[in-house]
Amino acid sequence: MQAKHGIAKLPFLQNHCCIAFMSSAARPHQPDTVASLAAVDIRCQRGERTLFSGLELSLERGQCLHIAGANGSGKTTLLRTVCGLRKADEGHVRWQGKDINDNHDFARAVAYLGHKDGLKDALSPAENLQFYQQLDGVLNTTLIDSTLQRMQLLQCADLATVNLSFGQRRRLAFARLLLQRKSLWILDEPFTGIDIAGRDLVEQICLEHLAADGMILLTSHQSLDHSSLASATRVVTL
Amino acid sequence: MLFRNTATLVQPLCFFVLIALLFPLSLPAENALLQRIGGGVIWVAAVLATLLSLESMFKPDHRDGVLEQLIISPRSLTTAVLAKSLAHWSATGLVLTLFSPLLSFAFRIPAEQAWVLFISLLIGTPSLTLIGAIGAALTVTLHRGGVLLAIIILPLYIPILIFGAGMVGQSTQGAAIDSQVYALLAIGVLATTLSPFAIAASLRLTID
Amino acid sequence: MNPFKSIWNFLYISFHRLGSPREFYTISAYATPVFGLLFLGLSTYGAYLGLFVAPADYQQGDSFRIIYVHVPAAWLSLFIYVVMACASAIGLIWRMKMAFVVALCSAPIGAAFTFLALATGSLWGAPIWGTWWEWDARLTSELILLFLYSGVMALYYAFDDRRTAERATAMLAVVGVVIVPIIHYSVEWWSSLHQGATVFREGGPAMPANMLTPLLLMALGFTFFYGYCLFHRARNMVLHNERNSSWVREMINELE
Repeated sequence: MQAKHGIAKLPFLQNHCCIAFMSSAARPHQPDTVASLAAVDIRCQRGERTLFSGLELSLERGQCLHIAGANGSGKTTLLRTVCGLRKADEGHVRWQGKDINDNHDFARAVAYLGHKDGLKDALSPAENLQFYQQLDGVLNTTLIDSTLQRMQLLQCADLATVNLSFGQRRRLAFARLLLQRKSLWILDEPFTGIDIAGRDLVEQICLEHLAADGMILLTSHQSLDHSSLASATRVVTL
Repeated sequence: MLFRNTATLVQPLCFFVLIALLFPLSLPAENALLQRIGGGVIWVAAVLATLLSLESMFKPDHRDGVLEQLIISPRSLTTAVLAKSLAHWSATGLVLTLFSPLLSFAFRIPAEQAWVLFISLLIGTPSLTLIGAIGAALTVTLHRGGVLLAIIILPLYIPILIFGAGMVGQSTQGAAIDSQVYALLAIGVLATTLSPFAIAASLRLTID
Repeated sequence: MNPFKSIWNFLYISFHRLGSPREFYTISAYATPVFGLLFLGLSTYGAYLGLFVAPADYQQGDSFRIIYVHVPAAWLSLFIYVVMACASAIGLIWRMKMAFVVALCSAPIGAAFTFLALATGSLWGAPIWGTWWEWDARLTSELILLFLYSGVMALYYAFDDRRTAERATAMLAVVGVVIVPIIHYSVEWWSSLHQGATVFREGGPAMPANMLTPLLLMALGFTFFYGYCLFHRARNMVLHNERNSSWVREMINELE
């Protein structure tokens, strides 16, 4: 039922993209296609302080966008706005030309990894992953095992997650991203708390994701210049 | 989830029993008096125990980030919170209800009224959880939301308390209890249909 | 042109103009004194009629005259709650800043009127019923209403972020207004069960016109007083909320 609905929507979606494309052709900067993800003139404030205003972002398939900036410059707020947890005070975030609010296509395309891992302490890593698989309407235990193996977590697959170290939890959170198979990854400080081997692994995963036409929007206060992601990444400083 | 952590299961229950048992200790030990006030006291204890358990409804999910993931996910948040409320009820309201005959025994309530009390709790406590969940969702981001939660939710509990305790009172006097049963069921139906939307909306409003 | 359409357009435009804090501030500068004057005129005349012209009640003597404060206050306590909930719903649905301001400024005024209704009711009850407090359905409902108002205000001040506070509070007000009729019904049922003959008689003797007219005048006057207070509070709140915006800064510069 759900899937049928999605397929039926597709021609309409393409149509919509065309319209958006035609109207955007009149604009001065003339993008050649409608960006997959676009933030248009957004303003966010925390309390009485305006963090940023008039911000424009766009992200295409196979691209990675690195949001840089000092502490408190609004990186996390921006990410949460883009993934729809928070509403912008002004402006819109669009996914393939359509506003992301109440947008089912967007909800199926986005995965968010914030400061909080989204993992249940009382459940084991495997059970946590099962929970997210069921949220997406699939259950495939072999896939869970192979993903855990990939993230080198197989040895603690049956422990309660509360017993995992911080780095292991982050790896588990990445395992969740891998399983969810979403096209847009929004990652808030993905490299904190992870050891060097883990960081290489995460970068490798991100590269594969980009190679498979995925999109990544991430924040990090470390520079990515020396990482393997550098060539695929654009930097925006807040 | 709640059943994993036995503390969350046992705490409201202990609280429920303790509150109810404070009354006989603070009042003259007359069986007739206990019998008369028993139904009301047990209802008040159930309301307070539900209120106490509400804080654990969304706070853990908010703390570990699962709530964010639920909001982002393509699955309907409204359905998710309805399921969550029912699960929460089965670990609190239902358990309290199952224990109520024991308390009725302590209050020397005759079996017939104990049965009425049991039914009234069974159909009344789901509404308590569902309405309370709105308050829990509104205060989920606050560090000390406990007292505030009580202030905003207790006035909304009054109709359920009146009908629930009234049902027991009526049956003590040998009067018909149909109207209260219907009223409680009507509130239950309203709460089940409307509050999931209010809970989901509240979560979206407060989490940002 | 269709007259209905032009009226609709007028309403639509004024609604949207009031929706902008700046426009609201400009328009309310004129509306506030008008409301204040209407309140003064109506309530002075109403009080004069009520206190000097209306005859004393044949049972209660002169003490019934407290009705001219009690009933308008009770009417406003309910009216303001509904206004608050409607404004909250408008704010949540159309994300209108001004609606939240109206809702939030209404809460303390409503709580004050609820308290006034309770206090005058109690004062009235002392000589007539022989008791300050009676577990009467209306009194109890009014008391619960006071708790609902205080819940709304407590929730607003619990949040650090104003935007979240506004929206959470609005949500609570909307939920409250759904439950208020149920509360009222349940309390009425409960008190009919608890009490024998209530002092309040349902459908008591109809009021003669010379008693009723001042009551209506007072009720109308009080409503304008609510409008007056609301505008005052809302203007302050708008200035506070928008203190960083350019139009407020310009205004301050002009003052200096």
